[in-house]
Amino acid sequence: MNKLFIIISILFFYVGFSQNNSFYGAFESNGVYYSENESKDFEKKFKSNNYFNLNYLIGNKWKFDLQIESYLPGRLQNFSDNLEDTYLSTLSINYKTKKFDFSVGSIYEQFGSGLILRTWEDRQLGINNSIWGVRTSYESEKIDVKLLAGYQKKGRDISTGKILGLDAEISLSEDFQFGLSYVGRFEDITYDFGDFTNLFSSRLDYYSDSFYMNYEYISKSKDGIVQFGNISEKFVKPGNAHSLNFGVYKSGFGFNMTFRRLENMGYFSDRFEASGDYLETSINYLPALTKQHDYLLSNINVYEAQPYVSFQDPKLMKAGEIGFQLDLYYNFEKGSSLGGKYGTKISFNSSLWNNLGGKFSYSSQDYTTSFFDFGEKYFSEQSLEITKKVSKDYNYILLFINRYYNKRLVEERTGEVNSKILVVDNTLKLNNKRSIKFDVQHLFNSDDDKNWFGYGLEYNLNYNFSFYYSNIKNYQNIEKGKPSYYSTGISYSKNTTKIIASYGKQRGGLICYGGVCRYVPEFKGISISLNTTF
Amino acid sequence: MKTVKTIFALLCILFFTSSLSQSLVPNTQLKDLKKELVYTDDVFNEDKFYVVSFWATWCIPCINELDAIVDLYPKWKDENIEVVAISTDDSRTKKRVRPMINGKDWDFKILLDENHDLKRALNIVGIPHTIITKGSEIILRRVGYSPGEEAELYEFIKNYN
Repeated sequence: MNKLFIIISILFFYVGFSQNNSFYGAFESNGVYYSENESKDFEKKFKSNNYFNLNYLIGNKWKFDLQIESYLPGRLQNFSDNLEDTYLSTLSINYKTKKFDFSVGSIYEQFGSGLILRTWEDRQLGINNSIWGVRTSYESEKIDVKLLAGYQKKGRDISTGKILGLDAEISLSEDFQFGLSYVGRFEDITYDFGDFTNLFSSRLDYYSDSFYMNYEYISKSKDGIVQFGNISEKFVKPGNAHSLNFGVYKSGFGFNMTFRRLENMGYFSDRFEASGDYLETSINYLPALTKQHDYLLSNINVYEAQPYVSFQDPKLMKAGEIGFQLDLYYNFEKGSSLGGKYGTKISFNSSLWNNLGGKFSYSSQDYTTSFFDFGEKYFSEQSLEITKKVSKDYNYILLFINRYYNKRLVEERTGEVNSKILVVDNTLKLNNKRSIKFDVQHLFNSDDDKNWFGYGLEYNLNYNFSFYYSNIKNYQNIEKGKPSYYSTGISYSKNTTKIIASYGKQRGGLICYGGVCRYVPEFKGISISLNTTF
Repeated sequence: MKTVKTIFALLCILFFTSSLSQSLVPNTQLKDLKKELVYTDDVFNEDKFYVVSFWATWCIPCINELDAIVDLYPKWKDENIEVVAISTDDSRTKKRVRPMINGKDWDFKILLDENHDLKRALNIVGIPHTIITKGSEIILRRVGYSPGEEAELYEFIKNYN
C-alpha cells in the first residue's frame, strides 16, 4: 500500500503544479473526558477521534481527496480496535469527463439501493468501508455502466477478501429503468464450498407523475454460516433478498409501502466479521426499514435489521427477516377546518418485522424456509406525528408511538417490550433571532425497565449561540435505582464552524443511529466537538 | 508513519501555493426524483441566487427549516431566488422522500444525494447545512438551523453585491 501512496502523491504534485488549482478541506474533532464509566477496566481519561480532509480540484476534471484520522490519546469508547494512532485513512484520485469517470484509491460507491453493495462513511458509527482499489464508469443516454475492484478498508488495515463489482442501469423508456449488478468476493479459504461468493441483483423501476414502483431481487451463492466465530462444512447455505416498494402521491398527499424479505444476506469481505460488532467490512447495506426517530425516549428499543442466520439455542434460531413498512403524509390546507390559519401536517407510519417462518433444526444445524411464512415477531410500530403552526411565532409537533419489541429474539437476550411513547415538542419564536424550544416526553412501559419521563429545553440566543439542557429519568425502575441521564451544553456556530461543549451522563445500552445499532456502556463526562470547513 | 509525514510536508507546500477555500460547487452527480442523473453544473447554471439545503426525512431541524422557507418561498421566487433541497436520505429512508415532499406541499427543486457524493465533496459533516450560491459560486455556508434564520438568509442575499 505504501508504494501506491507514493505514486499517487507524485501524480498529485505533478498535476497540481502544472495548472490552476483550488484547495479546500475540513476538520472534525470529537473529544470526551470520561469522568465516570460503568465498564470495569475504565480509566479516567481524555479520548478523541479526529478527521482532517483535504481536497484539491484542478479545473473540473481532476480531483484529489485525502483524509487523515487521528485517535489520540486514544479512540472514543465503542469504536473498533482497528482505529488507533494517526494515519492516512483515505486517498483518491478521480478523473472525470462528461461521460467517463475513473478513480483510483479509496472508492465510495453504491449499486442500486445498496442492498448488494454500498461503501460509505459514518463517523458517528465509526464506519468507513470504502474500497481500496479502482473504479471506472461510463454513461450514455440509454445505459450507465460501472466497474470496480479492490480490497475493503478495515480501520487502518485492509480486508483479506477482495471484491469485484459490475453494475449496469438501462433506461428502457422514459418511465422504466432496469438494473443489473454482480458483486463477487474472493477470500482464500480451505473449505469445500469455494473461495468465491457471488451475488446477483436485478431490479426494475417505474415512475409516473403520480405513481412509482420498484422491485429488486438478489441471489447469493452458497456460503458457510459463521457461528460463534467459526464455520462448519455442514452448515452452508445460499441467501436471497426481495424488496418491493410502491407509492402514490399528489399535491398535499403521499403514500408509500415497502415489503422486504431477507434470507441469509450478511456479506462481508472478511467473512468472519459477520460475528463482529462493528460491521467493518460489510459489503452490502441492510438497514432497518422503520421510522427513524429523533427524540431521546423514542430511541429506546429501536429495531435493527435481522438479515443473518443465527442459531443461538434450540429456542432461538433465525434465518433473516420478513415484513413491511408503510408511510402516509397528508397536508390539511390553510383555511380548512383542520388546517387552521397556517395548515396542519400529519404523517403516519406503520411497520412489522418477523423472523422467517419454516423448519429449523438445532441438532442437525439446518433450516428450510417458505417464502410467505411469517415466523415469530421481532418488532412492530405504529406512529402518528402532527405538525402544527399555530401562529406566526408558535408551532408544535405531537408524536405518538405504539411499539412492540422482542428483545429476546433481536438482541439475543431476554424480554419483550410493549411500549407507548408520547412527545410534545414546542417552538416559540421570541423575535427574529431568539427562540425557545421545549419538549416533554413520556414512555409508558409495563415490561422491561418500566416508565420513563423526559424533557428538553433549548434556547437560541441568536443564530450563533444556543444553550440546551435535557433530562430523561427511568422513574419506575426501582431495581436500578431510578436512573436519570442528563446533558447540558452550549453550541456556537459561525458560518461553517460549529463547536459544541457539553457535560452529562449518557444512557448505556443499544444506541442506534441511522438504522445501525451498537452497545455502549453508560458514561459521565465532558464532551467537546468541533467541525469546520475551509 | 514516514509516508504520512512526507505527504504532510508536501501538502504544506502545495497548500501555500494554491488558492484556498472552496469557491465553486464541485461538479457532482446527483439524481432527480425519477432517478435520472443530474450534474450540479447543470443545476447551478443561471446567474441568480440559489439557497441549497441539505436535509433528510428524519432530520427534524432540517424539516423545520424547509417548512419555514416554504411559507416565504412565493416571495423569494418573485425575486429570482431558487431553493434546491438536497436529500441525503440513504436506502433506509429515501422511500419517504417523495411522499413527504408531496404531503408537505414543498415546491422546491428536490435532488437526491443517496450515497453522499456531494455531501462528501463539500465536506459536510452534519445536517442541516445550508449554502447560498450565486450561480455555482458559494457565497455563504451555514451549519445548523435556528428558528428565524431563513429571514437572515434572505437579508444576506438582499445585501449581497
